[in-house]
Amino acid sequence: MVKLDETTEQKINEAIQELFSSEKPWVTIVWDDPVNLMTYVTYVLMELFGFTKEKAHQLMMQVHTEGKAVVSTGSREEMEHDVARLHEYGLWATLARGDQVI
Amino acid sequence: MSTDSDDIQSGFTRHGSNYYVAKFSPSECEVLINLVEQMLELLGERTDNHSDDPLAAMVGITSHDSPPDDEVLLRLLPNAYADQVDASEFRRYTELDLRAKKSAHAMTMRMDLKDSPDGIIEVDHESANAWLGAMNDIRLALGVRLKVQENSHEDLEILAPDDPMRGVYAVYSWLGWIQESLIEALMDEDL
Repeated sequence: MVKLDETTEQKINEAIQELFSSEKPWVTIVWDDPVNLMTYVTYVLMELFGFTKEKAHQLMMQVHTEGKAVVSTGSREEMEHDVARLHEYGLWATLARGDQVI
Repeated sequence: MSTDSDDIQSGFTRHGSNYYVAKFSPSECEVLINLVEQMLELLGERTDNHSDDPLAAMVGITSHDSPPDDEVLLRLLPNAYADQVDASEFRRYTELDLRAKKSAHAMTMRMDLKDSPDGIIEVDHESANAWLGAMNDIRLALGVRLKVQENSHEDLEILAPDDPMRGVYAVYSWLGWIQESLIEALMDEDL
């Protein structure tokens, strides 16, 4: 049995993590919109994603102050589903590859 | 938006654990029905969409994949991708469904209003979400027409009394106020 040194073990763990995270490389982004009420955006995020009021409020504030926020991460199909649900309720949302979001 | 002077505006309030109630005057009901019917018309078939394959339509695929020309429709049915090719592909498979879901919200709102001769609206959680979605779509449409931007309410509030946009802005603000009252009532249960 070979005992791995700490650096090798860390490298393997990073590689494993990357392998799994690359299976979920897509994100759903909500963009700032001058019409949608702040309370409405918070409420929709709570309803659609089951976020707590605090979490939803924090994301809404990020959309409001920074212009956008990532609200979910997953496979491309999952993100297309999330974007469609957000569009149903009038939020301005797009999906993109996670590594393409600055 | 003016209301009957003896009527105190309260918007939606929570009744019991599952219901949200509002009372609208006959003229308010008329305005709401009018707006929601215009929204249903807008969400109907696209006029620039002539060659729909009926079989494709049955499974929710449209023959068009271009974003709507109309600015209001584009806001209601936005692109899901920044990339135009991906956006077109997504639109082809999902736009009909999105229109159907938004229409369903609007139809719930219209039915509740038409079924209530006394203007008292009582909705459960699910119908409340339909009302919120429908009112939000109407506000998005009006917002595009009013060219609403961040903080532009300051400009819109000082529109000249004879400016036709003044009435549109009044309806827009009033809808936002109803929407806010319903959200507050709904969030109340999370406390």
